[in-house]
Amino acid sequence: MGYPHKPHPKETVVLSQHFGDVEARTHKGWVKRGGYEALAQALKLEPAAVTDVVKESGLRGRGGAGFPTGLKWSFMPKEKKRPHYLCVNADESEPGTFKDREIMRWTPHALLEGTAIAAHAIRAEVAYIYIRGEFTEPWTIIERALAEANAAGVFGTIKVYLHRGAGAYICGEETALMNSIEGKRGNPRIKPPFPAAAGLFGMPTTINNVETLAAVPHILTRGAAWYKGLCLSNPKSTGTKLFSVCGNVQRPGNYEVTMGFPLKDLLYDMCGGPPAGRTLKACIPGGSSVPILTREETEACLLDYEGVVEKGSMLGSGGVIVFDDSADMVYQIMRLARFYAHESCAQCTQCREGTAWTTKIMERILAGQGKTKDLDLLLDLSENMTGKTICVLSDSCAAPVVSGIKKFRGEFEAYLAGKRPVPVMVS
Amino acid sequence: MPSLKVDGRSLSASDGQTILDAARAAGIEIPTLCWYPKLPTVGNCRICLVSVEGQGKLIPACATKVADGMVVTTQSHAAVENRKGVLRLLAERYPADHLRNGGRGGASPRNEFERYLVQYDVVPTAVETRDLPLRSGDERPGDPMIRHDMSTCILCTRCVRACEDIQVVGVLDVGYRGEHAEIIVGADGDPDKAGCTWCGECVRVCPTGAIFEVMPRQRFAPQQIRHPEKVVRSVCPYCGVGCQVDLHVAGNQVIRVTSPDIELDTPNQGSTCVKGRFGYDFPQHRDRLTRPLIRKGWTKEGGRWIWKGPQGAERRAGPWRTIEGEGRRAKPGTPPRATGKRVRELPLLERLDMDIRDRVATPDDWYSPFREGSWEEALELTAQEMLRIKAERGHDALACFSSAKCSNEENYLMMRMFRGALGTNNVDHCTRLCHSTSVAAMQRAINTAAASGSMREIEQACDVIFIAGANTTESHPVFGAALKRAHEKRAKLVVADPRRTELAGRADIHLQMQPGTDVALYSAMLNHILRLGLENRDFIAKRTHDFEKVREAVKPYTPDKAAKITGIPADTIRRAAETYARGPNTSTLWAMGLTQHANGTDIVTSLLNLMFACGMIGRWGAAMLPVRGQNNVQGASDVGAIPFVYTDYQPVGDQQVRARFARTWGVPADALSLKKGLMVTEVVKPESGVRGMYIMGENPVISDPDIAHAEHWFQELEFLAVQDLFLTETARYADVVLPGASFAEKTGTFVNTERRIQVSHKAVDSPGEARGDFEILMDLTNRLGLPTKFRVAEDVMQEIAQVTPSWAGVTYDRLEGAGLQYPVPTPDHPGTAFLFDEDFPTTDGRATFVAVEYTDPVELPDDEYPFVMNTGRQLYHWHTGTMTRRASGLDAREPTAIVEIHPDDASLLGVREGDLVRLTSRRNSMVSAARISERVAPGQVFVPFHYREAAANLLTNPVLDPYAKMAELKVCAVRIERA
Repeated sequence: MGYPHKPHPKETVVLSQHFGDVEARTHKGWVKRGGYEALAQALKLEPAAVTDVVKESGLRGRGGAGFPTGLKWSFMPKEKKRPHYLCVNADESEPGTFKDREIMRWTPHALLEGTAIAAHAIRAEVAYIYIRGEFTEPWTIIERALAEANAAGVFGTIKVYLHRGAGAYICGEETALMNSIEGKRGNPRIKPPFPAAAGLFGMPTTINNVETLAAVPHILTRGAAWYKGLCLSNPKSTGTKLFSVCGNVQRPGNYEVTMGFPLKDLLYDMCGGPPAGRTLKACIPGGSSVPILTREETEACLLDYEGVVEKGSMLGSGGVIVFDDSADMVYQIMRLARFYAHESCAQCTQCREGTAWTTKIMERILAGQGKTKDLDLLLDLSENMTGKTICVLSDSCAAPVVSGIKKFRGEFEAYLAGKRPVPVMVS
Repeated sequence: MPSLKVDGRSLSASDGQTILDAARAAGIEIPTLCWYPKLPTVGNCRICLVSVEGQGKLIPACATKVADGMVVTTQSHAAVENRKGVLRLLAERYPADHLRNGGRGGASPRNEFERYLVQYDVVPTAVETRDLPLRSGDERPGDPMIRHDMSTCILCTRCVRACEDIQVVGVLDVGYRGEHAEIIVGADGDPDKAGCTWCGECVRVCPTGAIFEVMPRQRFAPQQIRHPEKVVRSVCPYCGVGCQVDLHVAGNQVIRVTSPDIELDTPNQGSTCVKGRFGYDFPQHRDRLTRPLIRKGWTKEGGRWIWKGPQGAERRAGPWRTIEGEGRRAKPGTPPRATGKRVRELPLLERLDMDIRDRVATPDDWYSPFREGSWEEALELTAQEMLRIKAERGHDALACFSSAKCSNEENYLMMRMFRGALGTNNVDHCTRLCHSTSVAAMQRAINTAAASGSMREIEQACDVIFIAGANTTESHPVFGAALKRAHEKRAKLVVADPRRTELAGRADIHLQMQPGTDVALYSAMLNHILRLGLENRDFIAKRTHDFEKVREAVKPYTPDKAAKITGIPADTIRRAAETYARGPNTSTLWAMGLTQHANGTDIVTSLLNLMFACGMIGRWGAAMLPVRGQNNVQGASDVGAIPFVYTDYQPVGDQQVRARFARTWGVPADALSLKKGLMVTEVVKPESGVRGMYIMGENPVISDPDIAHAEHWFQELEFLAVQDLFLTETARYADVVLPGASFAEKTGTFVNTERRIQVSHKAVDSPGEARGDFEILMDLTNRLGLPTKFRVAEDVMQEIAQVTPSWAGVTYDRLEGAGLQYPVPTPDHPGTAFLFDEDFPTTDGRATFVAVEYTDPVELPDDEYPFVMNTGRQLYHWHTGTMTRRASGLDAREPTAIVEIHPDDASLLGVREGDLVRLTSRRNSMVSAARISERVAPGQVFVPFHYREAAANLLTNPVLDPYAKMAELKVCAVRIERA
């Protein structure tokens, strides 16, 4: 459902089926809609069998990396010697992404049911749901839903904690999130060890995104084969995905489509295309951290993990940011760089200094004081910032800069040549 | 064992090694900034990235474990470009104009980071043309020891990890994010509030000098600091941990002290505490004696020295107040500490309205009763008077206090002189007021006088740490940090202490007992253990005897009964007992809190009973560690500077032993006395019969109990010679004061608390005519008629090794590096890390249980004296303050005498922080400033004993332990009033 808009016929409504339906938020209402049947089913199975079902379905992580979920679960130690933890990553902070928020707002029990199933599958006794600090409404809804679920005995002996973030983007990175839960500074950790070996409090841990877990109950009730069948293009990408569309389109919002759906149809048919009299200029298909696509690339892009990569970007979290021909790409890229500079945890040299320096140069260019060597400096910095740090935040900063300069070099050069008016800077 | 290829070379590595470890072991250099030995690896500087075949990305060498068949290229184009990239990013915010001026080849790097800049040919841009500002951060302005220049910080976070993971203090952290990230001190920049101990670990690890030591910069040129004339390995002169330190020397002065990064079993593993790192300037204090002093009144007539000065009370008078007089007198209150305020608003030194140094240093007029003399005069007079007293009053009218701060060689020479030349066993030193009761108890039980284990085993193998009466984090801070690390890692921590010390605060179980009630506590623990059957029956049966006596003796001490005596809830006692007994490896540590009691021997015995009953000795991880207080208190005892034994605890009453020593020294056997000598606390009594004294490096006028009497006693002597660095409170009563050498000015060996003999080398010359203690003692011994011909300290060690079976294999050559833990019975013996794995050094190889009964402390609080006074050490000072109060940094931190009072008591008394209070015991009274602190329990006060102007020992009770003659220094009843 293209909440807050009416569902579009081309949508495949699974996760968003009950968006806008207030009753679905309650335990009673959720049960009435068939909720918690999947959990009951799962509990009858051995943990390994549950994992196998999810493996079979082809479900991949919806947080951005797209790692096969069943495989991730199977990394947990076979022989249980120490406590196992489950972390639910509800720290949705990627600019342009707001799908988890809606899942939590409308179908909190879908998340809780998925959490309970996952905890069973990985034999965790404790689950932490790490919710972004700014999500005040989802927080209250989840809190209430959890109380109801606990009262109804949904989690059995599993203890579920809600942990509220404090506004740091980096805490959405899985290991930074664990540090944050542990009460430490939210710095990403070096991997290996991976969470399944040493995660939260040093114990074997699985961490999943909200959307991933919300899909799990459907897979159990309707079968892995059904989910696997939801595929329009590459068989490695299955199921449905929520896309949060924002920017220069007539009907921004969340749209749920089957994997492999054309991006063009999403933007033009569902979202109504750019505002009247405007044309599409560029698009960031997977949240702010991925390279920018030109109009041509956008219109030829299929929305699954492989399809977007083919066009030179990534599916990421599914936050689609759309720019029309009125957009100043240099300004937009500066905004992105500034975001990453602000959110860098400051551990790694390249990220701490690189994001800040990139921002300073971008600001200088926008202020009409750019130097001819600045573009080379930016590319050089980006090269330095890519693939060298503990986490990918600095890569994320470099991606739009590199793709922006490559694809919109003319706009940069216009600034350097003093041919563009200095825009009003929002700081 | 995995093997890998690095830069084409095949290497084999051990499991768990990182690429960096393997490469460095093979001499292949990979640059690092954030990596540092022993710190947790965080891999955040990203300069050590290398190429590994089959890996798409560069990977961090410091954080990647080697895998079999790995092919690593450290000099790949990508890796080198990355290094330059990292350096360029860091240089963008680093003030490095001095590296620009010379250009290529001419640049002179000042530190580790700049060396990389030059090596990788990264030329920083001019600061004013940069896009990014220089870094900032908390800077500790006005701090007497550590300050920051955060513009040169590269955020490697070594300091943060050193503070958090090595010292386990956690003062420093990274604040803010992104480009604004900076090193912060606590939450608000106040190191005091954040719990800083000024250990300087951050200074040690900083790669750019952003965190630096203040004193060298105030006293030496940058060039001298960077390029010292020499660096000399020494041993820290303070506590018994025995940290190895490097003295940097320029112009015959110690510029600064660093701790060597050697991966050996050194006691400190590269750390020091505040005293070790910043307390090194006392040898250069203006008070240092440079020529011998002779009391005016001694004149030489007809070849003999004759006293012509005043007799009676005026004989040793001077223009000073007695310690009693100074103690009773009102004095300025304590200046406010930074605690609770931002340091920025309160520069410590500036706020002190008095010149601190003048209050503690030797007042000018103290010298007035003396005249400077030559060494010939001073030694001639000393020898003449000692021989005269020997002839006129008998051998035993002479006594000496040797020194736990002097080397083994010097202590050996001292006891050799007194025994061999003067024929008396009246040789003792401050162990009497330290671990003498431990020695008595340990000798009674297992015939030993030293720790069974090593300090490092606590961190490596111990499951439960039981600490009784030891404020380790202040008195032995480097060991304290190791305990904290052990506790963080795995071990449970149980602390028995009347005060809530730092360790007690973090302990799993804190047994906060009434002072002096230890016997009841340990007996109750054993009682509970026996009730549950948790005792180690096998150990008891095979390795001990007389257990049944103890089983009977502890029967009445149920936890409930002990709860009434000690004030600790019975359940807590039970929990502690179970934790102790269940181990599996429990180490038992204790210090002055147990020993300084009139029943100290019984207290230690009851703890030993507990230990033997649980079998917690003789394994790696189950150590018996009486923590030694002074750098050589163990060694001074080992080489026989105690009244009843020669070296290696060979009894003076044994004819054969006597014969052997007589032979070695070349004297007739009957020249050596078979009679046990007097102990420190017995000497200082009118009935001792001692008329002439020689004191080396001790200050009994501050350290003896009931000072007023002791001070009077010293004035009554016929002759007193003092060998010291300064005109101390004791030396001012002397006839002759002989200027000795500080730790930096001589070579010698020291034994630390874990029986480790280490050698300390001479770094600088003594000032003026001051002489090494070794030379002074040699000269005097010869004058006293015992021919002595040692050239250097090493020669003395040869003789010690001859007469000391457990040191037989010790030579100076073998002591280089980490030293040797004795017993070292043969020249190829590797030393002994822990003892008693098979048997005890008793005749039957078994330990003896000795039943003891609880007795109340001699003085209990009553209506007239309602508080219990406890005495001890502070972090920044050491003993009678002779050294630390002349170390500028240390004294700036703790400039005045204080008494710790619980907030509840303070509010009842109407006393606020810094107010003067008068403490009165049954013996005396003194005035000191109040420090309100919850570290003491209500009804108790704590008085550090470092201060001349408010000496704790004016009040202490001189009643003695019947076995070890230890005074009851830890418990006396006092009254407190506002002054």
